[in-house]
Amino acid sequence: MKRNLYIGSTLAMLLVALGIGQGILEKKADAQAKSNTIMVPRFEVDPTFPKPLPNHWYQGMSIGVGVDANDHIWIVHRPDSVNANEAAEDAKTGTCCQKAPPILEFDQQGTLLRHWGGSDGEGYQWPASNHGITIDHKGNVWIGGNGGGDGMVLKFTQDGKFLMMVGKKGVPIDSNSQDHFGMVAKISVDKKENEAYISDGYGNKRVVVIDADSGTFKRYWGAYGNKPDDTNLGRYNPDAPVAQQFRTPVHCAEMSVDRLVYVCDRVNDRIQVFTPDGKFVKEAWVSKRTLGDGSTWDIAFSNDPQQKFIFLADGKDEKVWILDRQSLEILTSFGDGGKQPGQFYAVHSIATDSKGNIYTTETYDGRRLQRFLYKGMQSVTKGEDQGTVWPTKATK
Amino acid sequence: MKRAVCIGGHLLALLVVVGMPVLLDIGPVVLAPSAFVTLGAQAKAAAPTVEVDPLWPKPFPQKKAWILGSVTGVTVDVQDHVWVVHRGVDSLQANEKGPTLEPWASSCCFAAPQILQFDTAGTLLASWDPKTGSGYDWPVNPSGIAVDDKGNVWVGSGLPTPSLAAAGRGRGPAPAAGAAPGAARGAAGAPAAGGRGVTPAAAAPPADAQVLKFDKTGKFLLQIGKAGKTDGSDSPTGFNRPGALAVDSAANELYVADGFGNHRVAVFDATTGAFKRSWGAYGGKPTDTDSGAYDPNAASSKQFHTLSCVKIAKDGMVYVCDRQNDRIQVFQKDGTFVKEAVVSKTTTGDGSVWDVAFSNDPQQRVLFVADGHDKKVWMLDRGSLETLGSFGDGGRYPGRFYGVGSVAVDSKGNVYTGETYEGKRVQKFVNRGR
Repeated sequence: MKRNLYIGSTLAMLLVALGIGQGILEKKADAQAKSNTIMVPRFEVDPTFPKPLPNHWYQGMSIGVGVDANDHIWIVHRPDSVNANEAAEDAKTGTCCQKAPPILEFDQQGTLLRHWGGSDGEGYQWPASNHGITIDHKGNVWIGGNGGGDGMVLKFTQDGKFLMMVGKKGVPIDSNSQDHFGMVAKISVDKKENEAYISDGYGNKRVVVIDADSGTFKRYWGAYGNKPDDTNLGRYNPDAPVAQQFRTPVHCAEMSVDRLVYVCDRVNDRIQVFTPDGKFVKEAWVSKRTLGDGSTWDIAFSNDPQQKFIFLADGKDEKVWILDRQSLEILTSFGDGGKQPGQFYAVHSIATDSKGNIYTTETYDGRRLQRFLYKGMQSVTKGEDQGTVWPTKATK
Repeated sequence: MKRAVCIGGHLLALLVVVGMPVLLDIGPVVLAPSAFVTLGAQAKAAAPTVEVDPLWPKPFPQKKAWILGSVTGVTVDVQDHVWVVHRGVDSLQANEKGPTLEPWASSCCFAAPQILQFDTAGTLLASWDPKTGSGYDWPVNPSGIAVDDKGNVWVGSGLPTPSLAAAGRGRGPAPAAGAAPGAARGAAGAPAAGGRGVTPAAAAPPADAQVLKFDKTGKFLLQIGKAGKTDGSDSPTGFNRPGALAVDSAANELYVADGFGNHRVAVFDATTGAFKRSWGAYGGKPTDTDSGAYDPNAASSKQFHTLSCVKIAKDGMVYVCDRQNDRIQVFQKDGTFVKEAVVSKTTTGDGSVWDVAFSNDPQQRVLFVADGHDKKVWMLDRGSLETLGSFGDGGRYPGRFYGVGSVAVDSKGNVYTGETYEGKRVQKFVNRGR
C-alpha cells in the first residue's frame, strides 16, 4: 500500500514536472515569437498615381524625387534616355511620343503642374546628365548631374528661374577640390544652419557641405570621416576588409531630426552615419552580398517626430528596405522585380510626404514615379519580405 | 478609302488628346481603377470603352522572383485562358537577372517560364519552360502564340529586322544617358558583361526558321522547319523567321505569317505539317526581293514587309499584319485578296500594324490593332476597315505602352496586350461596353 502510494506520488510528481516543463517551453517559444514580431509602417501601392502625362510626353530614366512643403512631388528624369523608338514623335517616325521636360512637378492627385529644364541659361549650364532633386526649406529646387564633366550643382526657383550654380562644368574628378564637384548624385539642405550637403558623387568620393546661399565650400569628408582620395578601389568584394573610402557613387547624404547625416555608400552596400562636421558615428550593411550597382541607393526618413524608420531604396535587389533608424537593423522590406504597380526595376530614389506616404522613382528601364500610401502600423515577423504590396481589398 | 481611314485616324487621335484631361479627371481610384479611359468616336460602329486593370495579372509567387522578358505573343483560348510567350532570360538586362550572374549579384530576378497560362482573374494557372525540353528546336526568339480548339499550343519564331529607329532601343542613344549608368557601372565594378542593353539577336545562331506545336501541358507534338535552316518564300518545308501563326481548327490547317524574313502567308496541315499553299501581298506569288524601306508617299508595295500577324475571323476572312507597310490585308482562305487598309500611314520606323484581334460579338464587328510604334491600340470597323478610335499612349504606367506587339480578346470582350522591347508586360483592359 505504502509502496503503491509512493510509486503513485512519484508518478504524479513526474507528471507535474513534465507539465511544468511543457509550460516553460511554451512560454519560451511564445516569448521568442513575440520578440520576432515587430510593428512597422504598412504601405500599399497606389496603382493610378500619377495621372498620365499630357502631350504624349514620355518619361525617361527617373533619377530623383523630392517632396516640397505643399506635398507636391518633384521628379527629375533624363529625357535623353528616351530612345528613338520611344520618342517616335520627336524622331518623326510615328505619332508617339515626345521627350518630357526633365523637371516635373505633381500635386497630390498626381496631376502634372510645372515642368521645365533641360537647357543652358544665362549664368549656368545644364548638366550633361541631370541627377537628384531636392526642394529646400526655402522652396528652392536643387539638382546635381552625373554626366561626364558635370562638376556643379544648380539651384532654381520652383518656376525654373536660375538662382545659383556652385562648381562648374567640364572639370576633372578631384575629391579634394575646393571649388567644384565630381558628378553629384544628390543634394540635401539643413534648415538650421542653411547648409547644403552634397553627395559627391559619381566621380568624387566624399560628402561636401556648402553654404546654401553663397555656395561657399565649408567642409568635406570621406568614408569614416577620412580625407577622401581618388584611388581606384576596384570592384566591391563583400569578403574583403571593409573599404576605408567610399566607392562611387556616394549616392545620398540626408540629415535626420537629431542632426545625424546618413550617407549612401551605394556600391559598398552600406550606410555610414556622421555628425554634421563629418565625425563618423556608425555604419550598417544592407544586403551585403549585393554586387554591381550595390544596394543602398537612397534613403528617406519616416515622418514621425522621432523619424523612427529609414526607408531605403535598393535598385539592385528591387525593394525598399525598412530599417530601425537608431539601431540600423533591417525590420522588413517590400517590393519585387517587375513592371507592374508596386514592383520595381532599378528603384533609384525615395522620398516621403507629410502624410507618411512614400514616393519612388526608377531609372534604367523602370522609368516611373510610384506612390505607396501609408496605411498605419502593422505587425510583421522581423526580417519579413512583404513582396508586392497591392491594395489589400484587391488581392483578397 | 485609304485616305478616309488616314484622316479618321488623325481626327480621333486629336479627340483622344483633347478629351483626356476631362476623361482622366477621376482621381486615383484604387479598388476599381478607372483611369486611363479612352473612347471611340461617336461614329457608326461604336467602339467599346475599355479601362486598364492595373492589378492584372497577379504577381508571380514571391519566392520565385520571376519576371517577364520581352513579350512576343498573347492569345486567349476557348476556355478564356490567356496564354503568353516571352523571350525569357535572353531578353533580360544584366540588372534584371542578378541571381543568375556569376558571381551572384543580387536577389532579383529569374526569367519566368517562357510559356504562361493565366485565367481572366490574372491567376497563373500553368507554366512551362520549353527551353529545357528535347526533341525539338526551341527558338532563340519565340514569337507568336496560338492555341487551337483542341488546346494545342503553337509557337512561332524570330525577331523582326530592326528599323533604324529601333536601333537604339533598350538603351538611350544619347551620350548623357549612356554616360551616367556607364559611369556608375564602371566605377562600381559591376560585372563586365553587365551591359544593360538587350543582347543583339543577330549575334545568336542558329537562325529561327521553325514553328512548334505542343499539347497544353507542354508535350512536344510537331515541328515544321528547322532552326538554322532558313529557306525562301517559295519553300514547302522551311521559313525565315515565322513570327506569328493561327489555326483553322475546323479545317485542321495552320496559317503561318512567314514572316520577319520571308514575304508570305503559308498554310500547312495542322497534324502532319504538310505544306498546302502560300501567297504574298495582294495574293500574288511571294518573292524574296527586298522591297526596301517603307515610303508613305510611294505607291503601295506589291510585297509584304515584316509580316507580324495572321488571324482568321469567324466568317473565314484571313487578316494579315503587313507591319512595316502600315497595312492590313484581308484574304479568303485560299489566298484570294479581298481588301486592305492602311493604319497611321505616315508611321515609319517599326511600322503601325503589329497584331490584330477580333471583338467578342458574333459578327466580330471591331478589329483591334496593336500599334507598337505609335504605342496604342486602334479600333477599326471590321467591315469597312475605317478607324473608330484608339486607346493607349506611350510610357511605363498602367494603360500605357512600350512596344505593344500583341493583342487578344476574351469572350467577355476584355482586351489583353503584350509588350515587347523593354515594355515586358501583359495588360488587361476591361470592356465597359459602349
